[in-house]
Amino acid sequence: MRKPFAVTLVALAAGVAPILAAAPTRAHGPLFSPAPETIFKGGTELTLGLHTEKATGASEHETAYEASVEAEYGLTADWEIGIEVPYARRDLDDGGGTAVGLGDLTLETKYQFWGRDLPGAQYKAAALLKLKLPSGEDARTPRLGSGSTDVIAGLATGYESRRWYWFASAVYRANTEGGGLEKGDRQFLNLVGGIRPVLTAYDEPDTVLMLELNWERSARDDLDGVALANTGGWELFVSPVIWWTYRQFAVRGGVQIPVAENLNGIQPSSDYRARVEFVYHF
Amino acid sequence: MFRFMSGSIRIAAFGLSLMLLPAAAFATQYQLKVDGLACPFCAYGIEKQLTRTDGVKEIEIDINAGTVTVTMAEGARLSREQAKRIVEDAGFTLRNFAELPAAD
Repeated sequence: MRKPFAVTLVALAAGVAPILAAAPTRAHGPLFSPAPETIFKGGTELTLGLHTEKATGASEHETAYEASVEAEYGLTADWEIGIEVPYARRDLDDGGGTAVGLGDLTLETKYQFWGRDLPGAQYKAAALLKLKLPSGEDARTPRLGSGSTDVIAGLATGYESRRWYWFASAVYRANTEGGGLEKGDRQFLNLVGGIRPVLTAYDEPDTVLMLELNWERSARDDLDGVALANTGGWELFVSPVIWWTYRQFAVRGGVQIPVAENLNGIQPSSDYRARVEFVYHF
Repeated sequence: MFRFMSGSIRIAAFGLSLMLLPAAAFATQYQLKVDGLACPFCAYGIEKQLTRTDGVKEIEIDINAGTVTVTMAEGARLSREQAKRIVEDAGFTLRNFAELPAAD
């Protein structure tokens, strides 16, 4: 039992990758997956995100808390760039320790390559690219950064109208080696539906409800050339999300609830993930 | 009221009444029909782009009708090309552009 636990601890300590799967967005996009929206030309959007998640195994728990600040700027109405800086705390029980500090910084860009505007509705499609830099502390346990430079690429499409929303996205995360450990590459598939229950006027508070279906798969991690048996697999989440906006200010929050999984070997599975964001654009 | 005045006084009184009309009566208004306006939060981009435009005095967005009414300062004009660029920079499509009749 100790050996699988120790190996699991190493994998856990490498950081909580799902945080990077979340993609802060403008307009009314999903919370736990990317949206095709980009900010208007010359516009700046600031997002303060608060994230927590918990995973439980046979005898271990990991709890992570993260506060992140993200700034995005619209080079054109279709092309934006951004940066995200996280500050994290990770707790591993059963002697695993606690770490607090800056996490891995992420540079990102998104280009909306297709769009169709209709009266009161929009179709959009965009490609996104993120570069996660090894800026977080990775020399202790638990690690706040992966110690690796990772690339995240994806496609997102969606429809937004006065009443209804839908989105779909696919994301691939290619991880590299950091400190002897190479996290397995990850794939994400997401489907989202949403509704605006009450059609409000431009200068009134506005509420939108969404339901996301998030599927994540991870390849096995590799430690000094050895594939770790107790890593990798897939999980499926159902994620209710609520948006509240007033003019250029938005608050959105949601919870990811695991509903199915197939994880390799003995490893902790997600209990929940929760996120709330405060967004302001100008 | 003019029928009780002599001809020259009548003309002078009419000219004076025109001078006393509020300045807003001479402000030009435009109505932009915009496609893609789905939510107030994203429509803010149009307001932002318009407030950066010289001569824009007032903006009224009707999200349900998909229209943006722009009131210009006295003497200022908005061209269709300007409106198209503003709407596109905000991430939408200009469907129609019309100058509204002057207010009485």
